[in-house]
Amino acid sequence: MHAKDGGDRIQMVPERTLVLACATVIEEMLPLMPSGMSHQTLDFGLHVNPESLKNTLRAALDAVRPPIDVVILGYGLCAMAVVGLGSERCTLIVPRVDDCIAIFMGSGEAYKAQHRAEPGTYYLTKGWIEAGDGPFADYDRLVERYGVEKAEWVLREMLKNYTRLALINTGQYEMDRYRDYSQETAARFDLRYEEIPGSNALIRKMLYGPWDGDFVVARPGETIPLDAFIRSHRT
Amino acid sequence: MSKELVNAIADMREDEALALARAMVEGGADPTGILEDAREAMDIVGQRYEEGEYYLPELMMAGEMLNGITDMVKPVLTQAPGVERRGKVLIGTVAGDIHDIGKNIVTFMLDVNGFEVLDLGVDVAPEKFVESIREFQPEVVGLSGFLTLAFDAMVDTVAAIEAAGLRDGIKIVVGGGQVTDKIREYAGADAYGDDAMGAVNLASEWIGG
Repeated sequence: MHAKDGGDRIQMVPERTLVLACATVIEEMLPLMPSGMSHQTLDFGLHVNPESLKNTLRAALDAVRPPIDVVILGYGLCAMAVVGLGSERCTLIVPRVDDCIAIFMGSGEAYKAQHRAEPGTYYLTKGWIEAGDGPFADYDRLVERYGVEKAEWVLREMLKNYTRLALINTGQYEMDRYRDYSQETAARFDLRYEEIPGSNALIRKMLYGPWDGDFVVARPGETIPLDAFIRSHRT
Repeated sequence: MSKELVNAIADMREDEALALARAMVEGGADPTGILEDAREAMDIVGQRYEEGEYYLPELMMAGEMLNGITDMVKPVLTQAPGVERRGKVLIGTVAGDIHDIGKNIVTFMLDVNGFEVLDLGVDVAPEKFVESIREFQPEVVGLSGFLTLAFDAMVDTVAAIEAAGLRDGIKIVVGGGQVTDKIREYAGADAYGDDAMGAVNLASEWIGG
């Protein structure tokens, strides 16, 4: 059985709610988290392999014990990693967005508007920079194995269709360090640097509700369906 | 067939691979044999990728080596009499997506397997696909997309092809990133490809030859 939209809304009760989130997303959630709500952080690197992210999420969900009966997933569709997840006892709440960039921007619509305006945008946030993800993640391994020249070539190839590097400023942290890094990276790869204002609107709603049509809600025994995400693209 | 060439490509020894291929071409080796080696090497690279020994950069480096080798072999190939293309494939990354590493590998594999491929590049608008179908008259159209955000553009592109009355004459295959049979169904395509050889097999099945 699959999750449906609407119906009776689940009420947020901090003591019965667990946030299960990616390391990049949890950073933005913690400052707003209601007291009494518990959280568990999963490694950021998991997103590179959606199948292992799914398995890790599944194991974490299986380990959830009473009194927790609502789990907020600090994820988006994330390359299908959340599709098929479910719990026998808990209700799962996941924002109806493609990935965490939408979460940092405050809505799927804001993300899509940015994306439409310039598809060749490489988005960065504090968490992404600290995790050293993306084309930059593999650099050291490549240098060691194939030399600097090849490593540089790989990075340039990966970024060749990108035109803009956008740092999302969620306002939660001191930006200078991340701004410096982002500007340097942009200059190094001939990308235009821009700062995009973030928003905590969706994060607030993830934590406090209402868990309305902006979310996919999987009740106990249901699973998170792919349709819930791709249909939202049509509207 | 040169085990040396296969290994040099598969082990990412680019300079050696290119030098070997050049020596083979200059020595009058059968060009299809060289391409066969390249294909075999690509299978090994693909296998190592599956097994987690290689990552995306290795696929890119292998693709780059194969491009270099194809460039050397092509002039000899086209001189050979009786080489006919098996059919036409139009390919592109759909609107809103600029990822093309996988698509380029698919294009390469189709090319060396005898198909005439027109690659429209990245962020290709549905209208551009429609226009190119009219001009190029392909038997197969490949829509590539890496981002889940691209799924909509796949739907729009198939819809535009339908609206232009061109859907019946062609087979549409979707692929890339997280594309599954569910996405194929969502987009209204005929099939989805898991990897580059999947695309070649589909095209072979549809076009024959």
